[in-house]
Amino acid sequence: MMNQKHTPNHDIIARYTDQPQRLPVELRAQIEAAWGGRPVQLYALADLDASMRLAELWVVLGPRHVAIARPGVTREGWDLLSIDRSRIRAVRESPGLSGSTLSILGEPDDPALGVVRFTNRQRRAFENIKFVLEQQLEGRTIEPKDADRQYAESVAGPIKEAQALVAGHRMAVIWRLLAYLRPYRRQVAIGMGAAAVITLVSLVPPYLAGFLIDRVVRPVQDGSTGVAAVASIAWLAVASMAVVYLVRQAGALVRLRMLSVLGEWVARDLRTELFEHLQRLSLSFYSRKKTGSLITRVSSDTDRLWEFLAFGIVDVSLSLVMLVGLSVVLISLDWRLGLVMTVPVPFFCYAIFLHGERIQQLFLRAWRKWSRVTDVLSDTIPGMRVVKAFNQEDREAGRFHERNDDVTDEFSRIHHLWTTFWPGLMLAVHGTTVAVWAFALPRLLGSATGTPTLSAGTFVSFLLYTTMFVAPIEIIGQMARIMNRATTSAHRVFEVLDTEPEIVDVAEPVRLEPVAGHVTFENVTFGYDGVRQVLRGVSFEVEPGEMIGLVGPSGGGKTTVINLIARFYDVTGGEIRIDGVDIKKLDTGHYRRQIGIVLQEPYLFHGTVLDNIRYGTPEASLGDVIEAARAANAHDFICDLAHGYDTVVGERGHTLSGGERQRVSIARAILHDPRILILDEATSAVDTETERNIQQALDRLVAGRTVFAIAHRLSTLRKASRLFVVEDGVLKETGTHQELLQKPDGRYRKLYQLQRELA
Amino acid sequence: MGAGRSTRPAAGAVEVTMKRGPYAEALKPTARRAAVAKSALEAETAGLRLERRIDGQLWATRGGDRRAVWVRRCFPWTGPTRYVSLRDDDEKEFALVRDLNEMDADSRAALEEALAEAGFLLRIARILAIDEEVEIRNWKVDTHHGRRTFQTRLDDWPREVPGGGLLIRDVAGDLYHVPDPSDLDRNSRELLWAFVD
Repeated sequence: MMNQKHTPNHDIIARYTDQPQRLPVELRAQIEAAWGGRPVQLYALADLDASMRLAELWVVLGPRHVAIARPGVTREGWDLLSIDRSRIRAVRESPGLSGSTLSILGEPDDPALGVVRFTNRQRRAFENIKFVLEQQLEGRTIEPKDADRQYAESVAGPIKEAQALVAGHRMAVIWRLLAYLRPYRRQVAIGMGAAAVITLVSLVPPYLAGFLIDRVVRPVQDGSTGVAAVASIAWLAVASMAVVYLVRQAGALVRLRMLSVLGEWVARDLRTELFEHLQRLSLSFYSRKKTGSLITRVSSDTDRLWEFLAFGIVDVSLSLVMLVGLSVVLISLDWRLGLVMTVPVPFFCYAIFLHGERIQQLFLRAWRKWSRVTDVLSDTIPGMRVVKAFNQEDREAGRFHERNDDVTDEFSRIHHLWTTFWPGLMLAVHGTTVAVWAFALPRLLGSATGTPTLSAGTFVSFLLYTTMFVAPIEIIGQMARIMNRATTSAHRVFEVLDTEPEIVDVAEPVRLEPVAGHVTFENVTFGYDGVRQVLRGVSFEVEPGEMIGLVGPSGGGKTTVINLIARFYDVTGGEIRIDGVDIKKLDTGHYRRQIGIVLQEPYLFHGTVLDNIRYGTPEASLGDVIEAARAANAHDFICDLAHGYDTVVGERGHTLSGGERQRVSIARAILHDPRILILDEATSAVDTETERNIQQALDRLVAGRTVFAIAHRLSTLRKASRLFVVEDGVLKETGTHQELLQKPDGRYRKLYQLQRELA
Repeated sequence: MGAGRSTRPAAGAVEVTMKRGPYAEALKPTARRAAVAKSALEAETAGLRLERRIDGQLWATRGGDRRAVWVRRCFPWTGPTRYVSLRDDDEKEFALVRDLNEMDADSRAALEEALAEAGFLLRIARILAIDEEVEIRNWKVDTHHGRRTFQTRLDDWPREVPGGGLLIRDVAGDLYHVPDPSDLDRNSRELLWAFVD
């Protein structure tokens, strides 16, 4: 039996779907036996039956067969329909709103060999199978491996794109977060100790008040003791009171100072760790996640965690201590009155919890309506020209008005709820105080037995203690929400930290000093998602100093070729060699320092022009910078800027035009002096005059390096030593401009003629 | 300059001649719109036959033209039985069926069958639980097709559809329809409360 690898994808399937984590073991065995031991290569779950009910059917692909398995009707086990792959003439997928049908067809006018239906959740898995079969029809053989992984990845994929980590148990996340406190153990201990002292010490004043009344005031007033006899006790009590308050505020000082800074340190550590990790992650991670969501993780999520670590934990734990302490003191002072006071407390906490849940629901509804208000804004403000052109101002205003009123109603409902709840709760708390009075009075006056069984001092202490119940009850009631917020933020942070970089260096990486620029592709295949391949068996050899023009339709694989040369991704099959060394064995950082890339949309960082030109080589001299800028045709316009090379550009800085930005980025590449240069549509976004300027700059840049240039305008590639036509993931033609024009049916020739007609 | 004027009259001039010329009547916007709609749509369904082949594919025949077609509702919610586009393998429209009732019985049956398949979505009968997690909302429901657990993004709200009811789209793109939220049992209604107006 295959060993069953357990991946996070399997956890996701188990937790978030109601479908099996993998092909049932007995079914796999049954199928492989029916195929004479040939292995299962891919499989997918067809989760709809012919009558469109949710069901469990499996479509399994092997090297020679496709099997469709459905649960046995009459007996245990599976009914198997095995289709010989050589009989398949076509595969047809009819997509519907929520369910698609896959038909495996034989000869025309014959009934389908097999028909299965499935929901969109299974679609990626089916597309994999369909892709392999379609490739077979075109005469290409693909032998997928690790069917379990492919299945789990395709089913878990959409969920993972929304939430990459299976939400762990809340407590596990909290423990992991608390582990970040470990380096600051001393501060934690002092802070928590101080907080505990504050809590315990605040139990003292009510007790002292009762003590004074029973031992000093009453005996003196009813004449049983002289003033002189108790004066020292009285003053001692006053002094203790002063000490208590002093200790309490000193404790508050220590607590606040220790813990607020501590939260800040932990937040800083998390931010640093996150940012460093983000730098290491591969580009595929960034294509999955929205930039905005990553920015909030580093900024606001860590900030929320600060709040939790600095105050949340302490507040919650001390409120618990306080409630227990109060209950113990009250019951030990007088157990009957103590019970009257403490028994309702859990109910109050529960009421606050329920109220929180209810308000959460109301907020959910209000947020939904709020998003409808902002929808109108984000619709109409950028689209104001259209609104005005169609004279729809009144309608838009009406729409906004309606939604604005609607959301206000929701918020009014929320205000109505909490303004009813809190006074009501306070009334209940006061109700217990009244109950204490009602129980206490007969005993104070001794109306039942004739002698009082409760002292006035104890009664006063009690009344003072009851006021102390309110704050901790509030905090405990909100504990669920506090924990929830913290775990959510922590989870979002850990999600990033737990993502493994896909490109990792081997144990002893090779450093090429310097890179000569000899690039070899040997039978390279690549797919961004497992089965479907973007490049198929691409082989070529490029000598140092050659300039290669990559041409072909968009989506054909040109950009993938340069992404692989820069090692933003690793090949799925075959090998790329730089100067004869497998690219996977190179020291990635060192290798990338010798690669220069000029993109279609050059990216300038916020900073001066000088910083931007020196981005890759911070140690370059000012003279070198000017020389690079001159070569890039950028020196003149930079000199025209008010602050010259010290002009701040990039986001919120001075705005440069597209052509100017491009020339700055070329200057950056020239200064960087790369051995391998990649130009990705470097001139396609500018006008002809600017293009000429840039082209001149590029001509200077490419001299003496190995260059890979992608261009739609074929005229920009006139200097290329060879042209590669990449189409449909395959290298279709290679040769010089002249050679390719000679080919009567050549694709390059066709492209070239098409562009000349348009020009 | 002179040559340019003679071969290429100013745009305004063209408009003037056309407004006065023989097409003047047809160029009036309302007349034009109605005429196009009527003639084109009638012509398309006239003589149109549909059948489902043994392999499950829908085939359309009109005159001597015969090809495999796919169905696409133009208004899946506003008018599910009207304006069905029949599209060929090149994603070109072969015919537009204005109203299912205009078809002969066999063709109509074939078309309805194909529409039912293409328009399949999961109809929710009962909501068992809705939980919020980090970034996603987890739904557990009973549908008319069986029990199902699915996830939506937190900021992805269910939307009301023109024909009535609530439509929920999960992260994988599957659609869940609640035809009439007020028809659900009490517990489901309470769970769904925040999402229904």
